[in-house]
Amino acid sequence: MFGVGKTSLVRRFVYDRFEDGYLSTIGVKVSQKLLPPIQTGEGKFGQFNFLLWDIEGFEENSPQLSNYLVGAAGALVVADLLRPETIASLPAIINRFRKAAPAGQVALAGNKIDLAKTSPETVGELERFAAESHLPFLLTSAKTGENVEKSFQVLARQIAQSGGR
Amino acid sequence: MEAGFFEKIFQQKRMGFASLSPQLTVISHNPYFLEFLIQPGRPAQGQPLQVLIPETVGLENVLEQIAAGKQVFFQLENLQREKPGKETLFFHLSFYHTAEKAAPLFCLLEEVTATARLRQQIIQQMNEIRLLESLIAARREEISLSILGNSEPIRKIRATIEKLARVPAATILLQGESGTGKSMAARMLHHASSGKNAPFVEINCAAIPETLLESELFGYEKGAFTHAIASKQGLLEEAHGGTLFLDEIGDMSLKLQAKMLSFLETRRFRRLGSTAEKEVRLRLLASTNRDLDELVRNGAFREDLYYRLNVVKIELPPLRELGSDILEIAISYIQAFNIDFNKKISGLTAEAEEKLLRYRWPGNVRELRNAIERAMIFAEGERLDAADLLVGPAGPGPEAAPAAENFRLPAGGMSFEEIEKKLLRDALKLAGGNQSKAAKLLRLSRDAFRYRLEKHGLPDG
Repeated sequence: MFGVGKTSLVRRFVYDRFEDGYLSTIGVKVSQKLLPPIQTGEGKFGQFNFLLWDIEGFEENSPQLSNYLVGAAGALVVADLLRPETIASLPAIINRFRKAAPAGQVALAGNKIDLAKTSPETVGELERFAAESHLPFLLTSAKTGENVEKSFQVLARQIAQSGGR
Repeated sequence: MEAGFFEKIFQQKRMGFASLSPQLTVISHNPYFLEFLIQPGRPAQGQPLQVLIPETVGLENVLEQIAAGKQVFFQLENLQREKPGKETLFFHLSFYHTAEKAAPLFCLLEEVTATARLRQQIIQQMNEIRLLESLIAARREEISLSILGNSEPIRKIRATIEKLARVPAATILLQGESGTGKSMAARMLHHASSGKNAPFVEINCAAIPETLLESELFGYEKGAFTHAIASKQGLLEEAHGGTLFLDEIGDMSLKLQAKMLSFLETRRFRRLGSTAEKEVRLRLLASTNRDLDELVRNGAFREDLYYRLNVVKIELPPLRELGSDILEIAISYIQAFNIDFNKKISGLTAEAEEKLLRYRWPGNVRELRNAIERAMIFAEGERLDAADLLVGPAGPGPEAAPAAENFRLPAGGMSFEEIEKKLLRDALKLAGGNQSKAAKLLRLSRDAFRYRLEKHGLPDG
């Protein structure tokens, strides 16, 4: 989905920066970030070098999307808490990811929580979806930085626990 | 053909290429290939492709398939490369199978920056429009489903709605002046107590004739009356599993009241022209701005239906009794209309706040919404000012402003002509001699006002 804040989350995570305004991403922009060591299991620690693919907010049925997803170890799937329709589109996006990268792990981020404190219904909807799909999720704000690094850590842990790269 | 002929063509077409070993290391490449590398200073020959072009990490399986000739082609479109001090470069990255054993992969990089920029502009505009539409829709829904304010009456209503949400079967009567938000309260009750997809069916009993209301509510079978050319499901059936909201129930005819009472007691009904009974499960909400007690006393409303509906009653207070909540509601409308009209009004001036607080708001929240909407259309300042708000006069306060229903004719009677003359004179005085404003104060058209001035021989200014 477009405009949910994928680029802003990556920018906050990698460069600790936020820019107001919306500029749609075309294609894909790759960046790297070395995570501090995290606990990946009982007594186990690991360090992750993320190669992040910030991809265009394609339509669910875009043929080009699968090529971007092939080979990914995990996906942080982002919904916009101000737009309930982005939550409704999550199942299709996740299915698409799992088809292209069957071993890939998924975590959810409900972004723009700084603006959505007054929309408990949308937050509740994401919570329900995450519970039904057994997916970890965090409410994030690229603007304030709330839970941004944590959501990537959650994904890293998922990948480590599944034995991924 | 001269040596380097193809090199020149690739260079001119802004294409880089490299041949790759089965282990995905670069065997050879043209000079332009280096333009796409993250670190262009490094020699590329002998380097693993993944080090030079990190977008290929994770593609090992796909590239092995191409090297083995099991897949012919693979492409990633619009990869971005940012270089310090230069514009972002966009390129397509493609892989082809070749028949050479030592170099079974051919990697082609095609610069597409100009096309990508055009695409970016188109998508940007499309997405901005879609984002705006989506935000407007969400904000509208948020406003339509929230009772704003923190005054005692509003807090009580919120608490009552929360309690009632846990009792799905209760019939609820919403009472309040016109424009106090009865319909909104009904929607809140529905959303708080029903599933997301449960139907909310609303009908205004005062807006349609009795016979039509009956067929709308109960539905009909084909041939039930002259124009019944096909069977039709009624609103009772449509609301099955959700909520039926009967707005202005005080205007329902006695005959229909009897039918509704029967339905409420049995939860069963028959479509017009049918003998088969149907049963539905729904929550019934009814509202009125009329005094049902008085209607019952006058015989215009069935007492038994009144008691059936009046199991739980929520009184929606008039806006004038909500104190500073008026300002909170006004601000929420300003925010909503900022989105609608693409404006950046930040709030209200102190004078505007005072004007809003002193006005009586006979049309309640609906009138406030209209006043803010009108002000937002014409306002040019950073905040809405008193002059932007075209509401009735800022009178001496709610207590002193008499409502028509409070007026009592003295036992000895009085001259209607004299009263009319006095009202006309007072209105002109309050409006500073402006006839349009004076007419507005008396809820008259300008022509009707002038006609009355002439009738009484009063000066017109």
